[in-house]
Amino acid sequence: MVQAIDGKWKILREAEYTYDFRRMVYLNRRTKKVFSFEFVEDHSESEVQRCIDEPSNGAEWRFYFNSPPSASVQRELENVLG
Amino acid sequence: MTDNRAIEDHLREEYFRLLPDIRRVAEYLEAEVKYFLLPIRRKLDRYEQVVVTSRVKDCDSALEKLRRKQEGATFDTEQPTLYTLRDLSDLAGVRVLAFPSGRFAEVDDEIRKRFESWEADPISLGEAETALVHRYSGYCREASDSVRGEIQIVPMLIGLFWEVEHSAIYKPSPDLKSVATDPEMRQCASKVYEALRDFERQFEFLLGDQKLGNR
Repeated sequence: MVQAIDGKWKILREAEYTYDFRRMVYLNRRTKKVFSFEFVEDHSESEVQRCIDEPSNGAEWRFYFNSPPSASVQRELENVLG
Repeated sequence: MTDNRAIEDHLREEYFRLLPDIRRVAEYLEAEVKYFLLPIRRKLDRYEQVVVTSRVKDCDSALEKLRRKQEGATFDTEQPTLYTLRDLSDLAGVRVLAFPSGRFAEVDDEIRKRFESWEADPISLGEAETALVHRYSGYCREASDSVRGEIQIVPMLIGLFWEVEHSAIYKPSPDLKSVATDPEMRQCASKVYEALRDFERQFEFLLGDQKLGNR
């Protein structure tokens, strides 16, 4: 439902996330957090907000996926997302 | 360790191994759906339409779709055996475009009855509360045991919009298909669906009025 996406997208955009349509992830390069499309679809606005607010040292990428990505998927994503 | 290219090569080989089955399923399913819908198609009014088409998903689109099905749209290069194109339910697809909504519902009832063991996976589009597109997938055992077929029943105006969108953008570049998941693109698409729905509703409203007036 677009209405539900609207709310979550607004939260993500306000937190300076962009959407990478090729990898279907929302990412913030400063905080180095990545949310999968599926994770955002399946979680409420407040859960997404809580994940955004989690402290991050910005040193290593943190992945918010429904199923944790394997090490090789993480490496691949880290390479392509910069 | 495998790389992405090795996974894609393995999937391309699989695609061409499956291709005869995919073609058989598409042909069989199209013939069957047309046959089941004959009674409806024979009684259509001049402005009403029920159009049945089939298509075989091409190799690059199939690979892209399988990649997009993975969370993060990324294959795990350390687990190449996880991936098979048989996980896709729409390698062979039949689409029924129907207009107006009364015929759409009638077509859906008939297909659901004829393919009752198939899995239903309706699609909601935009802000619609109810599913706008009905989708069923399953095996046509007469055609293949290894490739599933998919039947989509789509309101005609939306189906024609998809065809334009597909042939203009995604057909030449299957890797752009995921553009449609972009939040702002989804909002734009939602407005298109809403406008097409309004158009169809108003058309049916006027037509209903006209019929009542003629009585």
